[in-house]
Amino acid sequence: MTLVLAIMLPLLSAFLIPFFHLARKTLSAGLISIMGLASISAALAAAYTGWYSPAVSLMGGWAPDIGIALVGDRLSSAFLLLTSIGSGAALACALEKFGGGPWRFYALFFLLLGSMNGILLTGDLFNLFVFYEIFSVAAYLLVAFSMSWQALEAGLKYLVLGTIGALFILLGTAFTFMATGVLNMALLAEALASIPRETLTAISACLVLGLTIKTGAFPVHFWLPDAHSSAQTAVSALLSGVLIKVSIYALMRVCYIFFLGTNGTVFLAITVTGSLSVLGGHLMALRQDDIKRLLAYSTVAQIGYILIGIGCASAAGAAAAVFHTFNHMLMKMGLFITAGNLSEEKGTREICGLTGLWKSHPVWVAAFAVLSAAIVGMPPMNGFMSKWFIILSSAGAGTVIPALVIAAGTVISAAYYLRILSAFISPGEGSSSGLPPSVPRKPRRRSISFAIVGSFALLCLVLGVMAFSPFFRECFSSIGQTAVDVEAYVGLVTGR
Amino acid sequence: MILLSYATAIIIFCIGLYTIMVRRNLFKTVLGLALMESAVLLIIVSSGYIPGGVPPIAPFSGQAVNPLPHAFTLTAIVIGASDIALALAFIVKLHRHYRTVDLDRIRGLRG
Repeated sequence: MTLVLAIMLPLLSAFLIPFFHLARKTLSAGLISIMGLASISAALAAAYTGWYSPAVSLMGGWAPDIGIALVGDRLSSAFLLLTSIGSGAALACALEKFGGGPWRFYALFFLLLGSMNGILLTGDLFNLFVFYEIFSVAAYLLVAFSMSWQALEAGLKYLVLGTIGALFILLGTAFTFMATGVLNMALLAEALASIPRETLTAISACLVLGLTIKTGAFPVHFWLPDAHSSAQTAVSALLSGVLIKVSIYALMRVCYIFFLGTNGTVFLAITVTGSLSVLGGHLMALRQDDIKRLLAYSTVAQIGYILIGIGCASAAGAAAAVFHTFNHMLMKMGLFITAGNLSEEKGTREICGLTGLWKSHPVWVAAFAVLSAAIVGMPPMNGFMSKWFIILSSAGAGTVIPALVIAAGTVISAAYYLRILSAFISPGEGSSSGLPPSVPRKPRRRSISFAIVGSFALLCLVLGVMAFSPFFRECFSSIGQTAVDVEAYVGLVTGR
Repeated sequence: MILLSYATAIIIFCIGLYTIMVRRNLFKTVLGLALMESAVLLIIVSSGYIPGGVPPIAPFSGQAVNPLPHAFTLTAIVIGASDIALALAFIVKLHRHYRTVDLDRIRGLRG
């Protein structure tokens, strides 16, 4: 039942918020935080259940071949933990910035939270599509929430590309249903082994293309930089840190369950897309002057690393990909919140205008430096560890090209992160004139944001060191094992 | 007969995708999305067809057509309608700002 609650509580909050607004006219921040805490603890409870005793809950008691099954295993619990941390942090930032004011924002936020948990827990292909669409519509609206022309354009672009992706997923689902007559993912894993080769190729092409568009990998990434840079700070952090990871989960789940034993070409395609994303994302980021666009292109490149890990089609590769997913969530959310706050302070998003910040905001710049060292991959940090594991497993999968691509990408990313840091540290002309009057009240207003950024920076260090401990490696390798062990998944759902 | 409907659906799907990629008018982009969606729905509906089947309403005799695809189609129609409504709302807002729906004159976010 905990699995159902993780979906129901956020959706209930999303539908209650408008009623509270109608009844009371104002929405208190306390009410929102209680709803947020309830939803996040329900998700964590589902993650706990899934981790220690993999659970299946059949909706309405129907058997898996007719009804919808919710499945919680170690892979979904890892991602539930990730989305809970990420969306909790984004909610805290949003509450600090807006208070309880914009009820539409919070309704969309909880809708997003519920549908993300739905994607992570569902065991049914069509249900995955439905949750994906709820999730996407909420995300389009959150991107366009500020209603400025950039935000509207970015939202429309995201909507058009996202809908094309969704229609490819729907087409793939339709082909799957026509070929096999079932939609439960565990039963499909068995049924897809015995269908004609051409049908399987069509199904895998549609599903992988659709999910790749939703992930924002390089050749189809156009929506991502606009959407991530035009949204407000809390939303950008949520988009880059959490939403992309849910798409990564869907890609991982669908590819491993359906195509691991049947169509190895899919994984070659994912590896190639990942390598292209790493190079393309880093090279595009190098050319950006707008700090948020730069971070968004850096996200494209980081997705490339994760895709290379998934493309290894091995337990080690999956474990490394999940580890990098966690690290990227911590690093990129921290970077987006820092960049958003600093550029609001300076009134510009151009990197050359963000000067003299080391004098006025030393702690923020220090946190930014730690986070960017982690994302570039300095040795004791978590970014280095996960890249290292991805390189090891991709070399173990038989080809060395992705490993070389990752190494080249690291050099490029060091170049552009150092450019931002040198701008921050260089003495700017206006650093002492405009700030003193605003200093007394600003630090208090943004203390929650800073607490989040600081703890994420600290976690980056801690995770990098923890990667040496056997217990920690055991955890991540068991996630990888769960991801590639299709038979255990089928056994769990069918009860055989 | 049924093959004809599959072929039609795939052709419509490709026309929709082509419209989105080539046309510079935002309304035509939305039309392209609507075409793609209808094509996928056509495939799903026709996949449930059984030659000589009767409607699957409770007291029926003989073999009924598969009702499951119809349920999917209804769900997908609702989702598609909300996507398209949202796209049109965005376009109305953008038109108020730019006074045009030509993509070449709207793109402020290039690069």
